[in-house]
Amino acid sequence: MEAPTLGPLRQHRLDNGLRIVLEPDSRLPLVVVNLWYHVGSKNERPGRTGFAHLFEHMLFQGSAHVPGTDHFRFIQQVGGVANGSTWFDRTNYFETLPAHELGLGLWLESDRMGFLLPALTPDKLETQRAVVMNERRERVDNQPYGRASERLSELVYPEGHPYRWPVIGTMEDIAAATLEDVHAFFATFYTPRNAVLTLVGDFDPDRALELVATYFGDLPGGPRPDPVVPVPFATTGEVRDVLTDEVRLSRLYLAFPAPAHGAPDWYAAELLAQILTGGKSSRLYEDLVYRREFARSISSSVLPTELPAHLTIAATVNPRVDEGELEREVLAELERLAANGPREEDLERARNQAATAHAGMLQSLDDRADLLALHATYHGDPAAAFREAAAYDAVSVEDLRRCAAALLAGPRAVLTVLPREAAS
Amino acid sequence: MSARPELDRSAPPHPQELRPYEFPDFIRQRLPDGLTALLAPMPGAPLLSIELAFPAGGEREEPRLAGLASLTAGLLDEGTDQRDALAVAGYVERLGGQLSAAANWDLGALELELLPRHRSAALELLAEVARSPRFDPEEFERARRNRVTDLLRRRDRPGQVANDQLLRALFGPATYGLPLEGTPETIERLAREDVLSFYERHYGLADAVLLMAGDFDPAAVLAELEERFAGPAVAAPPRPQVALPPEAEGRRVVVVDRPGSAQTELRLGHLAPGRLHPDWSGLTVLNTLFGGKFTSRINLNLREVHGYTYGASSRFASRLGPGYLTISAAVATPHAGAAVREILAEMDRLRSEPIAPEELAETRSYLLGVFPYTLQTTAGVVQHLESLAIFGFPDDYYRRARYLARLEAVTLEQLSQLAQRHFRPEQAILVAVGPATELVPQLEGLGAVEVVVG
Repeated sequence: MEAPTLGPLRQHRLDNGLRIVLEPDSRLPLVVVNLWYHVGSKNERPGRTGFAHLFEHMLFQGSAHVPGTDHFRFIQQVGGVANGSTWFDRTNYFETLPAHELGLGLWLESDRMGFLLPALTPDKLETQRAVVMNERRERVDNQPYGRASERLSELVYPEGHPYRWPVIGTMEDIAAATLEDVHAFFATFYTPRNAVLTLVGDFDPDRALELVATYFGDLPGGPRPDPVVPVPFATTGEVRDVLTDEVRLSRLYLAFPAPAHGAPDWYAAELLAQILTGGKSSRLYEDLVYRREFARSISSSVLPTELPAHLTIAATVNPRVDEGELEREVLAELERLAANGPREEDLERARNQAATAHAGMLQSLDDRADLLALHATYHGDPAAAFREAAAYDAVSVEDLRRCAAALLAGPRAVLTVLPREAAS
Repeated sequence: MSARPELDRSAPPHPQELRPYEFPDFIRQRLPDGLTALLAPMPGAPLLSIELAFPAGGEREEPRLAGLASLTAGLLDEGTDQRDALAVAGYVERLGGQLSAAANWDLGALELELLPRHRSAALELLAEVARSPRFDPEEFERARRNRVTDLLRRRDRPGQVANDQLLRALFGPATYGLPLEGTPETIERLAREDVLSFYERHYGLADAVLLMAGDFDPAAVLAELEERFAGPAVAAPPRPQVALPPEAEGRRVVVVDRPGSAQTELRLGHLAPGRLHPDWSGLTVLNTLFGGKFTSRINLNLREVHGYTYGASSRFASRLGPGYLTISAAVATPHAGAAVREILAEMDRLRSEPIAPEELAETRSYLLGVFPYTLQTTAGVVQHLESLAIFGFPDDYYRRARYLARLEAVTLEQLSQLAQRHFRPEQAILVAVGPATELVPQLEGLGAVEVVVG
């Protein structure tokens, strides 16, 4: 794989613990301000699932010096693009701004890091609760197969595991969140000590650091949150379930425990997923979608998570094909890979596809900032992003064979979604 | 660190000096045998993006053969005179490339992304796929089977059902009214000969364009293109004039009944100008402030004030032929009627009340400022090159000065006139996909209500 064309990286830490990553790139007069808070749905407690995400919405509702929805207004009126997202392990906030407006981004982010609570009102929480409930309906409940991934997580993770519940949360828990919860969450997790600020784009690093110190330097560092310790996976066994949905075709899901992001075997699992379903010449697509037409589509993925998570294979089953037969064929392919490993050409294809995907990610400033922040947050080292290409290159045919064998030897979850009409 | 003076957080800091962006320089050249190349060298770009486009979009198919254009485009990479379908895919994927073959209403196109060092292989393959597709009878049958399955599955997605219903209501069972992908009936009707003849008529070199952005030497690329794309400069027939159905008098409401839906998908729309209409620049500004950004009127109203939805937005379809306005929101079913009334009220307000100068200024600076955001990727640059080629814009169309001049030419008076002309709530079609028993009572009084099965 070709070396990624990341620029020179600079790292700093303010006295209050805020970590800063700077990557200058002056190809376009743009700058990304990207803030990762090391808190996500895995820090939630039972009865309050979805809270980290609901909280993310509250960060766009103004702070002491930024009224109402003016956060977006300030950014959009200078031609900026802003958003935030919540994940199991982290919550990120980011804006791409014209380069000369770097100060605006820092002012806005520091204001909500330091001065959120004075602006908080019960009305804002009620409105965002309704918005988030609608987000859940739009993205999950009113989507075909929308609840499958939640059910699959319940099957693959043991009781009490923090990846067992969905990031968006349940309706009951979204309804139960209180203003006191917002206060406590903010005090615990939304601190300089628990954040990484990444700037990528057209700026002078010394001047940028000075601005960062000006806006963030006087914020109190805050506590160090306790690490989340996961409940271990079962060592073996199969769990199965069947759902029905308003869909025309059945879909089969298989889930297996997989390594955490950054482990050498994580890169092997990524390449294995690519070998299985990445493109028409991938093993499962060529056989089951193209040649035998058992499935209309097939995909697989492994998640970039801080704790070990899972690898999923999902196949949408063609009409008049038996889901059980498709499942046997998928497992038979895994068994072949576990016995013999992939062909060299399968590995070459997967590696080259990963290299292209990696190059694609380096193109946009906000993707690059996210990549640096991910490595800084999970692994304590943003420069580890530079070593990803080598990590993919280091994966061998034998690693992939071992990876497939480990999937088959461990526990697995199997979920089938059936069309409601056919099921009744 | 040393003590610093008390920081004034009450207002944002003054910006530094503006560094204006510029659209990348590019070369436009028509090759001896017809192909027109638009090449934007971007030294250091990690990816190379290439698009080869032909005037072979859905506007050129007969409605009784709806889906022909997209099926033809989709079959281009399913085998050539040199390689079968799996060999084409295997070749591209082994280079780590991503190849797509698809049509929209305006064009049929091949798009390829890969690392810059594979450029020559990429151009060779694109030429082969575009110029010697096999249209193997087995692949044709497989594509039809898959298409029929996909069309059935379209009904899984309430948002898709809502879009389809709106277009059908606006354009009828005709071009633009039927899905670009066709219907099970039109796909059954298609024969391989239809594909061959569509290909012969629309995939000649004379009207083809090749768009490319990335790290390359344009002279070397032009030389390769001349070699790969030699042959007769066959021209496509002129664009057909699509007759629009007469617009119905008064507002109409179509409820697509899906009992048990967790939410209601709303679409509100009517006919509107296409991309080449002289009002387009003004409409872009008007639509952006109405429903084209987070801080737009309808999103702030429906989401941030009322919490009815996760997001409300509007857009004018950008294409060569006649367009339409769509306003979209997925809303909590108990609030569907209230949400529609807020949308209609915002349309009325846009028409009847003057727009504040600050709102125009904010919207203009938003559109100006976000433009370079789309230039970060080679695919983004190719997208703009495609617009230049397909819509026939001059080479300096996206130069910053021209872009700025178009925005600055839009006045408050003009926006008011455009709102009168192109936002027509009284003639809108409203589509609501959700539980009819809950929706119909809420939508009474908004127009003649028709309930259809979902």
